[in-house]
Amino acid sequence: MGNCFQSQNSDDISLLRGSDAPDNGHGQEPLPQPVGPPPPYQEAEVVPVYHPSPNVSRPASQLTEEEQIKIAQRLGLIHHLPMGVYDGTSKKAKECVICMCEFTFGDTLRFLPCMHAYHKDCIDDWLMRSFTCPSCMEPVDAALLSTYETS
Amino acid sequence: MAGLPRRIIKETQRLQADPVPGISAIPDEANARHFKVEVAGPVKSPYEGGTFHLELFLPEEYPMSAPKVRFMTRIYHPNIDKLGRICLDILKDKWSPALQIRTVLLSIQALLSAPNPDDPLDTNVAEAWKKDEESAIEEARQFTRQHAMGNKPQQ
Repeated sequence: MGNCFQSQNSDDISLLRGSDAPDNGHGQEPLPQPVGPPPPYQEAEVVPVYHPSPNVSRPASQLTEEEQIKIAQRLGLIHHLPMGVYDGTSKKAKECVICMCEFTFGDTLRFLPCMHAYHKDCIDDWLMRSFTCPSCMEPVDAALLSTYETS
Repeated sequence: MAGLPRRIIKETQRLQADPVPGISAIPDEANARHFKVEVAGPVKSPYEGGTFHLELFLPEEYPMSAPKVRFMTRIYHPNIDKLGRICLDILKDKWSPALQIRTVLLSIQALLSAPNPDDPLDTNVAEAWKKDEESAIEEARQFTRQHAMGNKPQQ
């Protein structure tokens, strides 16, 4: 119950936050109650911003219903994409083309169906804007569906 | 500059260490996200012999969103308007974070070699281009002589 006051206006927002939302307090510890109205900047920090398409940025509260569904679906699909920890043995990919940093031992990577690999945080940020592989422009969902069909 | 992403630092270094032939991109001293660009008009195009100044800006979201690029030198081209705005798919819906400043500038150079009047930004130029390509190319040459030769970078 302690979570209620964070997402006052609808369940859509908590749905959109997905599993990235911090788990605060499990509802057991009483959350610190602000004295008086909170400073306005806190309000702004809480609202996550989404990108229904690459050049559009909007806070969650201003998304259309269609966009909310699209984003919720994307969050779900992204979680089905395989991840791995870079063990330094891959001969193919050495650098994440998104941040241009070399993969280092222990980095969490995400693998797309086309076999291109990126840092998980880098590619997840992009996939929330466009569900395509940055390197080959292959639509990720089409490839995902055909993987399901053949297996 | 504090808070500049590693990627931007790397791209800037690589552009300077291994420049693209016919293109120079120098970051602004005051703002490392802002580049002054010079593109030489490609050989065998009506822009040959001209030097075109552009400005390129990397928005806060870069590389998740495309660089903003604009011609500062006037140019007669169906995909570039009077304000210097460029109609190029990779700067809009076909942007990908695997693209870089280098690839964007190469694409712009290629656009000068291959104007596409079927996807116009300046409809007057595009119409002229489709109606009488030879005269349009002569007009582009004239513009190049007038605006892109002996010109200094604009502010």
